[in-house]
Amino acid sequence: MGSLARAYGRPLALTLTAILVLWILALILVPLGAMVQQSLWWKDSAGDLSLTIDRLYNDIATLQLDAGNATDAAKKAALDAEIATKQGEATALEAQELNPGKQWGLDNFTRMSSLHLYIFVRTILYALMVTALALIVCYPVAYVVALASGPRKAIILTVALIVPYAINELLRVYAWLMILDYRGVINGVLGWFGVVDLDNRGWIPFLENPSAVFLAMIYTYVLFMVFPIVNTLETLDRNQIEAARDLGASTARIHRRVIIPHAKPGIAVGCIMTFMLSAGSYSVPAIMTRGQGGDWFSQLVYRQFFESNNWNMGSAYAVSLLVVCTAFILLMMRFFGVGLRDIAK
Amino acid sequence: MAWTAGIRPVGTTNIVAYGSSMRGKDVRLDKVSIRFGDSTAVQPTDLAIHAGEFFSILGPSGCGKTTILRTISGFIEPTDGRVLIGGEDMVGKGPNERPTALIFQNLALFPLMSVAENVAFGLEARGIGKAQRLKRAQELLELVALDQYGDKKPADLSGGQRQRVAIARALAVEPSVLLLDEPLSALDLKLRQHMRTELRSIQKRVGITFIYITHDQGEALAMSDRVAVMSRGRLEQVADADTLYAEPATPFVATFVGEQNVLRGRITTLADDVASVETPIGLVTGRAKGALKVGDEALVMVRPERISLGASNANTVPARLVSRNLEGPSVNLLCAAAGQNFTVTVPNGPAVRDLPEELNLSFGLADALVYPMGALAHG
Ligand SMILES: Nc1ncnc2c1ncn2[C@@H]1O[C@H](COP(=O)(O)OP(=O)(O)OP(=O)(O)O)[C@@H](O)[C@H]1O
Ligand SMILES: [Mg+2]
Repeated sequence: MGSLARAYGRPLALTLTAILVLWILALILVPLGAMVQQSLWWKDSAGDLSLTIDRLYNDIATLQLDAGNATDAAKKAALDAEIATKQGEATALEAQELNPGKQWGLDNFTRMSSLHLYIFVRTILYALMVTALALIVCYPVAYVVALASGPRKAIILTVALIVPYAINELLRVYAWLMILDYRGVINGVLGWFGVVDLDNRGWIPFLENPSAVFLAMIYTYVLFMVFPIVNTLETLDRNQIEAARDLGASTARIHRRVIIPHAKPGIAVGCIMTFMLSAGSYSVPAIMTRGQGGDWFSQLVYRQFFESNNWNMGSAYAVSLLVVCTAFILLMMRFFGVGLRDIAK
Repeated sequence: MAWTAGIRPVGTTNIVAYGSSMRGKDVRLDKVSIRFGDSTAVQPTDLAIHAGEFFSILGPSGCGKTTILRTISGFIEPTDGRVLIGGEDMVGKGPNERPTALIFQNLALFPLMSVAENVAFGLEARGIGKAQRLKRAQELLELVALDQYGDKKPADLSGGQRQRVAIARALAVEPSVLLLDEPLSALDLKLRQHMRTELRSIQKRVGITFIYITHDQGEALAMSDRVAVMSRGRLEQVADADTLYAEPATPFVATFVGEQNVLRGRITTLADDVASVETPIGLVTGRAKGALKVGDEALVMVRPERISLGASNANTVPARLVSRNLEGPSVNLLCAAAGQNFTVTVPNGPAVRDLPEELNLSFGLADALVYPMGALAHG
């Protein structure tokens, strides 16, 4: 703050600090805090309460019957008193049922069913596979783009990468849906050649396989993998590639020893982004599987919020995903031996 | 592609025997020309570089030096003609299949590898085991006096040290021809002069052919056995340093190497190889270089140190002293005669301390070279 004030003057320094604080609040602390807070409490299960209330009303009805039949004034008074207390208890419990008490604790995290846990683990594995496949697909693309020069580069970039991504993500996913559907483009072409028999539902069920989701996801997130790698590769001195070749290195060795080490920070950023996006993607698995393939964890989170209406559980799921993703980032940085500083470059 | 096909086996000699185990090869360009699209970078060129020679290619920026070097190393295929190394046609052979090693203009060391790994990289590419290749890297680092620096990263070294790492890395693959693309241009003057001697002595020790590219005539003249002067994609002259300086073949070479006083004029008489030229300062006689005819426009070149004060030579010009610049061992006198400027370099001494304003400049017939009209090095 002191140095800021000296560099920019007091008013500007105050404004900058205010913007920074607002930024941190709005982008990190408030949403995350709300989510974590939500995940740490739950409402008392109302089930037992209703049963108790029902029992009380049963008792009251019996007592009222007894009271109606009673001839002894003293006994009737005793019964009325009992009815009154039970009525009081019931009213209190009803109030509690309408406004259940909060319970704090980690139960939302520990109560995940084994099926959901399985889906959680599977989603992480799928996301890892998507990341690995995207890396395999994108590295050569990034290499070609980064080493192309002049107008050729602009053409490759625009035609191959910018134009497809000018189209909305949903539309692109739906396009893949149309391609892979039972009566989609591929099955249509195969049917036309007589390879599959569409009339008798003899199509190939691409969409029932998780790889359909992989395909759409890789397609959707290619840019996030390609651009960081292109960025780092562009800073590679091409003479180094030539020097390695001149010294007799094979293409594979040049990549392994010279190019990939240089591209590491970009690869790490690309993997982190792709992993985060695919682990948290809702629309792609929702659209591509249409309930035919297995759920992804993001779909479970969605359902907790909007179908089960259990926001606490949903928050706990979301926070779990976040924790695993963060762990993944740290692991990747460790694995690639890059620090935040390298990534910022 | 068969990557291993042309890779040379590396001998098992240790560094003491490096000089004898490495053998230079001769390099021949046979009517080589190189075009990029419509523009011609190198005109059809014949050139023979001897085995074990320190050969320099000297020329101004953009004249095609790098292009020639990259053609020899195999990064560029010549548009026409052939490159022969050790008598063998190199057509279709990639840079990794030729007995050459290139030192890049910017060195292109691998920044993420240690110095030792850099030097060992060529051996690694040939599948030599780690212990053995690091041992040889260490020997090469000794050769360039960097044996303490194997574990450092290139970025931790000084410019001159990085330079020597690049040399060691190139020598590790035991090339027959070492190609150097202005490797000293990034160094400061003092280091550059030191590295000249260093390079020359390394070349003497390993005995292989060095082809050295530079636009610095001082470097080329000081280090080389022979120098090729290049201009606009054409070889102007190939000769040893003394010949280049004393007998430049073209006006370009005459003005690019060393200083010249240039006179323009028209040839009046021509007998044997003596030409008389009518110039703004009168009739000048000199030695004819190149194809001349009476009546042709011509250029007369006289080196500043070939002009003496006084009137005792074939050509004498009365001139006015404009300024006197002390260079230390010598003095540069700037003179004017009939609108023509002359630079005269004379040894420093009492005789040149108090000069009169009016002088006679004179130079012999052999000191004036007469060329047909042609391009000069500096406009
Ligand atoms: N790949 C290329 N494509 C098109 N033109 C090129 C290419 N490489 C070089 N040139 C052209 O060929 C000519 C010679 O270039 P070259 O790099 O050989 O010059 P140079 O003598 O090494 O110059 P410098 O001293 O500046 O390094 C230049 O006009 C250059 O623009
Ligand atoms: Mg060059």
